[in-house]
Amino acid sequence: MSNPSPFDHRRDPELGQAMRDVLTPPDEARFVARVVAAAESVYGGAVPSPMLNILTAWARPGLVAAMLLIAVAAFSAGLWIGRSGAAVTAASPTIGDPLVDSGQLAVPALMAGQEAPDVDVVLAVAMGR
Amino acid sequence: MQDAELAALAQAGDREAFGELVARYAAQARRLATAILGDPDDGDDAAQDGFLAALKHLGRFDPERPFGPWLMRIVANAAGDRRRRRRVRKTEQISGRQAAATPGPDVETDRQRFRIALQAALAELPERQRMAVVLFDAEGYTHREVGEILNVPEGTARSDVFHARRALREKLEAWNDWKEEG
Repeated sequence: MSNPSPFDHRRDPELGQAMRDVLTPPDEARFVARVVAAAESVYGGAVPSPMLNILTAWARPGLVAAMLLIAVAAFSAGLWIGRSGAAVTAASPTIGDPLVDSGQLAVPALMAGQEAPDVDVVLAVAMGR
Repeated sequence: MQDAELAALAQAGDREAFGELVARYAAQARRLATAILGDPDDGDDAAQDGFLAALKHLGRFDPERPFGPWLMRIVANAAGDRRRRRRVRKTEQISGRQAAATPGPDVETDRQRFRIALQAALAELPERQRMAVVLFDAEGYTHREVGEILNVPEGTARSDVFHARRALREKLEAWNDWKEEG
């Protein structure tokens, strides 16, 4: 070992080699294999893959686009239901028609109507006539 | 391939790139961790902790800067964590063998005794000085890089290396004649 000085920027190769000899454990290849195997636990969870990065980057705009689509679809569906509902109301028969035509009165028939049934009809159903 | 490229690939999920980084720095990491903990098995555990921690945090690595000091700092922290979690057993055992570690007539035995004497001398150094002299003289890092790894100013790292060398020289003085003869 050479005499060191606090101002000496040079390394002491003899001391360096002696320390490497003393501190270097055996089986480096085995150690590397062990660390690489242990790294699978990290890769299995936290490390993001390129595909995951892409998906993550698109997540926020994707959510916004999906919400817009849902809003438009809901608005359109509302309009369609409103129009078709009006048409159904106009075309649907009154509760009196099936009663008169078939002569068979039943509770489901009352429930199927779009308008409130007449009091006499309800009484007729309740009395089984 | 440069370390930064390997680090980017490893971060993207390339196992081979990570394996290459481990192979490049395994010896350094194991020596540093062993120097801190005084035991090669504990050192290997700490070095592995360091590599895995580095893998988890590769996103924080600045590719404009050298990879070695960044990794060695993580390894040193991992070894410090292990030292705090468990008592270091072998350090005292190595120190206890120092009395027998003086030159004798058999060269091969003397070589082994010198190794024991150096281990004992290293074990007696304050931890930061031990890390500093290993990083500077054994691993080839600059004073500035040693300071970065140890999280101290460059001047402090320089002082640590100086004091560690002086202490080692004093403790191993009996071996100077033997080495010159050998």
